[in-house]
Amino acid sequence: MGLVGTLTRKQRRLTRPIGHYTLGTWVLLALTILVPLLYGIYISLLDINLASFLAPQFVGLKNYTTALQASETWSTLRITIALMFLGMIVQIPCGIILAVALHQQLRGTKIFRSILITPMLLTPVAVGLTFRFMFDTDLGVINWFIGKLGIESVNWLGSQTSGLVAIVIVDSWQSIPFVMLLILAALSAIPTSLFEAATVDGASNRQVFRLITAPLITPTLLVIVMIKIMDFLKLFDTIFMLTRGGPGNATTTLGLWTYKTGFVFLELSRAAALGVIILIITMPVYFLWRKSTRNVR
Amino acid sequence: MKGLTVSLGKRNRVLPIIVAIALALTGCSKGSSDKASGEINIFLIPSPSSTSIQSFIPEFEKQTGIKVNFSETPYGEAHQKQLLSYNQKAGAYDIAQFDNSFLAPFCQAKAMLPLDSYISKSKEYDIGDFSQAQQDYGKCKGETLGLTLSTEPMIQWYRTDIYEKLGLTPAKTWDEYYNNAKKIQASGSGGQIMGFGPNVSWWWMTLVWSFGGQLYDDNLNPTVNSKEAVAATDYLKKLIAVSPKGAITANGDDVTSRFLGEDIGAMLNYSGYYGMALDEKINKNKGKIGTAPMPIGAADITHLAGWNIGIPSDAKNPDAAWKFLEFVFGKTNAKAYLQSGAAAIGRQSIINDAELVATNPYLPQLTISASSRVERYPQIAVWPEFETAAIDAVSQVLTGKKATQAALDALNEKLKPILAKEPRG
Repeated sequence: MGLVGTLTRKQRRLTRPIGHYTLGTWVLLALTILVPLLYGIYISLLDINLASFLAPQFVGLKNYTTALQASETWSTLRITIALMFLGMIVQIPCGIILAVALHQQLRGTKIFRSILITPMLLTPVAVGLTFRFMFDTDLGVINWFIGKLGIESVNWLGSQTSGLVAIVIVDSWQSIPFVMLLILAALSAIPTSLFEAATVDGASNRQVFRLITAPLITPTLLVIVMIKIMDFLKLFDTIFMLTRGGPGNATTTLGLWTYKTGFVFLELSRAAALGVIILIITMPVYFLWRKSTRNVR
Repeated sequence: MKGLTVSLGKRNRVLPIIVAIALALTGCSKGSSDKASGEINIFLIPSPSSTSIQSFIPEFEKQTGIKVNFSETPYGEAHQKQLLSYNQKAGAYDIAQFDNSFLAPFCQAKAMLPLDSYISKSKEYDIGDFSQAQQDYGKCKGETLGLTLSTEPMIQWYRTDIYEKLGLTPAKTWDEYYNNAKKIQASGSGGQIMGFGPNVSWWWMTLVWSFGGQLYDDNLNPTVNSKEAVAATDYLKKLIAVSPKGAITANGDDVTSRFLGEDIGAMLNYSGYYGMALDEKINKNKGKIGTAPMPIGAADITHLAGWNIGIPSDAKNPDAAWKFLEFVFGKTNAKAYLQSGAAAIGRQSIINDAELVATNPYLPQLTISASSRVERYPQIAVWPEFETAAIDAVSQVLTGKKATQAALDALNEKLKPILAKEPRG
């Protein structure tokens, strides 16, 4: 007590608990994340419909049971998972190949690196709209190009399979640079002495990749997989611009279905329940992500 | 001394803020009282009708001294924003434009002020100048909640040059429509176009009605798997073969711009899209676009669509709002309103005006025959959910994923709980 009394104002300020400095951030985070989250959970237990001006009633878990019984919830979840797998099968190998190529520090690497990250800088809405025109069956440049190769034009956005492929192509075009950058960072962190020693020992390129590169970038790969899973669970803008979830609901993901429920059907409480369901699905992925990041340098 | 300076400095900074807040509050309250005496706020949705309405504001302000403010909100969020505003009783708008498909939710929510007392007293608006179908267009449960802002029946559009070259005439039946399209396609042009994509419900329900079917009965039981609905859906699927390939993903705008910009023989679409035909950047076939009534099937129906405009229940200045509606949509300015580029309201006294017909040749199609049964967007609050389910089922048929009867049977089952949510009475 006596010691505190002798401290100057500046010293007292410096000896404040660390929590005092982060309080503002916590309040901001609580207002922007925690409060909306809790409010979302709260309204998921009511029966709010934007077109009904009746006072909301507490309905307990009814919105959850309705959502879980609806065939669309499961079909859109299947579509989300299908997109996730297709996307990762394309994006992770391509990202690794590009990162390994850039890591060789060949001539023009800097220019290529700049060019390759450009798609990542564009807004998904603009990209989706541009690709929508490119995928047009009659006027699109993609069908024009494959027509030049003698292949019959594809109705890209007119069926479920080709629609999903189109979404994966567009998302991959934007996401591969992100995967590439993370892998490149992981590769840069590997000591060059390991590669030099392997070369002296006469290891082939394939052996170097299998025995040195792959094990050392695995923790980063795990992080990428987790981030991509979360990305696909919330993928919205690209699909909205490209197919609007169509034809019918054939390319509608769980996120897009939640949007339709809330803003097209005006069933706000049911949409909130779907949002909470997405959150519950994402939670284990989040904890895995936290665990995997511990091993990343 | 330093402390005093700091203290004064703080006061110097705080005082102007307090004064500014006080002035702002005074300004707000003054604004509110001004508004009650002569200021209205209009909620518009970007469209040729909205642009035309805006063009009348300066003259109205000059004549009445009523200040008019307006804001435009894109279609995608317009109705949600209106519902939120009405729900909060914010009184933010004195006039609001809305799509007829939202009349039922607005009616259910008692969001719009009944206009019947204003209409019955207004010689300038003259409700008798509209056909019965148009008079009923903004009605819900016997009350007029919105004036007709545009009358847009589904009509047949055709390329006069292609039809003349092949010796064809606009189809009167659905068989003729298909056969015309087949002949046009054989000649090397696109046979016909409809939107088989995200708006396929527009064409599907039109065909269901025209083939003699209904979407649901009087007790709100779905009837989308009737033999008429199956025949209509099969016909829709048959038309894909005589349409350009990309039509399978086309929406209403795509269909119109493709018909106007490419060599496609015919199109079935709302007359309200004619504004696009007046735009030379879009219409590469100027002077070659003809219009005719929609072919007739087992039932003679007119599918009527279009905008409404009304006064929200929480409007702060409904009388001034009515003055504005009367000014823009009354008889005096009827011709000027259409000439300013708006979609036609359907006022009978001007739809055969030679000068107007010269620039808008579709106008005579707005005369709805008394024998024709008028169908409009289903007036149910659960329509968005109903429509999404229908689009999904019809798309499965069109893409060959499911047989017609199976898809419509499944749809019928899916619609039962959706329609059960619709408030009765």
